[in-house]
Amino acid sequence: VFPGVRQAQWLTKTKLVEGLPPAVQGIMDNPALGLQELEERAKHMVSHARLWDTAEVAPRRERYCPMLFENLIHICRLMSGKFPSLSKRMLARNCRIAATWERESILLQVRGLSGILMNSMTPIPPVASKEEILATKEHVLETFYPIAPTIDLQEVNVYKELNDTGQCFRDGYPYSHPHTLFFLESANVRTDRFRPEQLRAKMLMFAFGNALAKAKALHGNDPKVLEQPVVVQSIGTDGQLFQFMVFQLNTTDLVSNDGIKNLVWIDSDQNLYERAQCVPEVKKRVVTKPAGISGFQPDTFKKFLALYLHGTV
Amino acid sequence: AEAPGAAEAPEPSAGAAPYPDIGELRSLACDALLQESFYQKKKRPFLYCDQDHTSGPFLTQLVSTLASSLSGRNPLLAASSLDLNPKVNYYWHHGKEVVVHGHRKGRVDPVRFQIDDNPHLQIRVPKQLPEVVPLESNLGDVPVIDHKPSKLPLFKKQYENKVFIGSKVADPCCYGHTQFHLLPDKLRRERFIKARLEDQIEVVYRSNGIASLFAWTAAQAMYQGFWNEADVTRPFVSQAVVTDGKYFAFFCYQLNTLALTSETIKNNPRKNICWGTDSKPLYDVVEDSNVKGFNDEVLLQLVHFLLNRPKEL
Repeated sequence: VFPGVRQAQWLTKTKLVEGLPPAVQGIMDNPALGLQELEERAKHMVSHARLWDTAEVAPRRERYCPMLFENLIHICRLMSGKFPSLSKRMLARNCRIAATWERESILLQVRGLSGILMNSMTPIPPVASKEEILATKEHVLETFYPIAPTIDLQEVNVYKELNDTGQCFRDGYPYSHPHTLFFLESANVRTDRFRPEQLRAKMLMFAFGNALAKAKALHGNDPKVLEQPVVVQSIGTDGQLFQFMVFQLNTTDLVSNDGIKNLVWIDSDQNLYERAQCVPEVKKRVVTKPAGISGFQPDTFKKFLALYLHGTV
Repeated sequence: AEAPGAAEAPEPSAGAAPYPDIGELRSLACDALLQESFYQKKKRPFLYCDQDHTSGPFLTQLVSTLASSLSGRNPLLAASSLDLNPKVNYYWHHGKEVVVHGHRKGRVDPVRFQIDDNPHLQIRVPKQLPEVVPLESNLGDVPVIDHKPSKLPLFKKQYENKVFIGSKVADPCCYGHTQFHLLPDKLRRERFIKARLEDQIEVVYRSNGIASLFAWTAAQAMYQGFWNEADVTRPFVSQAVVTDGKYFAFFCYQLNTLALTSETIKNNPRKNICWGTDSKPLYDVVEDSNVKGFNDEVLLQLVHFLLNRPKEL
């Protein structure tokens, strides 16, 4: 069972900022990157995933959700023709992650399949300035008294504290920095999928887990404020609605509730398109809804691409 | 299916840009190989599932990284669509047979063929590849086989007769560029060598190349409106790479005619042509984090395939 975003914030000692950070916004607004021309391609990719991909009438979510992801990533990857440093990225599927930490004498652990992880040879530079990081000292974490924040979490006996990014990759792996996690809610049945709020909480917990494991690998296990914050991004989707997240780990000192906090920027519930009509809707011999993709939102695609390019361009 | 087997690989396409950096491409290929066979910690594969565990993901990584990195040199790749696990189908008539049982006994029927293919990956593009030889070329004779197609395991069961290139007709990427086929575990080289059938190893690669490419090019031609009574006015060219994860064989197919039914084939001098290489290893062995015996020749052939494009681009 997954807690909501507010609970996840308490568990990871994180302050929330609405919207995407200025660095990512800057990439979206940069005309030199030619994001306008890619809109047409992105629209084709949506049509391919939702309409054209199968000999049957319409593909199911289990097929079109991963297909849409692969298509969008394909467009992003093709940018390495223009920006060769983008080829220093590698996608890994089915990575397992485990990270352990203590919050106010409660031992917490994030464990499981991270979904799809994109790794990079170079880390993403911090997105918040030193002043913003220091300002988090003033921020007071929301508590849920009298409800314990660990309600809904599974209580397990942890005998072995597992804690490494090397959990998923052996030493010497050249693409050693986790860049972006992708979560695809592709179950056909709606109740098998995470609701947007739960999905965002999951994205935050796993981004935190990956960042924490990386920070411990780089700077050791002692809790401290990080000189070089670790940035990990998350993107979640059900094939139509997108959740975008940038997480910055500023401190591994997580026991107390004061001091420097971590930061997360969330841009939620962004639709890539309004509807995908496979067969035209006809009422009284008049076509009321033509076949095709309607209500395409290019901004959502631009955000996806900007997060992909972040850190390299 | 019919086409003569042949000798050498086609000429590389002329490009104005200087030669791509083979060292860079080699390191991308090795990174992909090492990630899937060594760096990413995975559970041990189940029995006979080696292909899904290592070779499949490796092929996907290899093609996606190489294609993106070469997209700067080949505008056709930059406009391409990448399909993962697509379906390709083609249905045609060829030859005659007499109905044996039932109320139609004694009547003459065309023999029906259906190919239902499932390549591991394919690249589709919006413009056709250039012809290799002129439409009416005659490079050899076609062997004649007398027995029914259901004697071959390929044509035993025909459930649904359909024609599909991997995407519906509305898709602008309606021409095929390159397919990538992964041989299943049960056709491993070691098995052939153990059964002392070494001469059959190349047969597997060739038959896969010919059948898959015929189905793909013929389906593309049908999408453009040609059929056995309205034969193609220009040749349809596509490429394929057949591999078991280590050994690679390259094929190039030119479809010159769709007129294969017993009426239309009578005065049809045109023949379809397939060129192919023998299978060669990309590397010798992977030991820990080192790839030993990497074969640049195979990589170069793959690069040439990916760089193929019409002369005007």
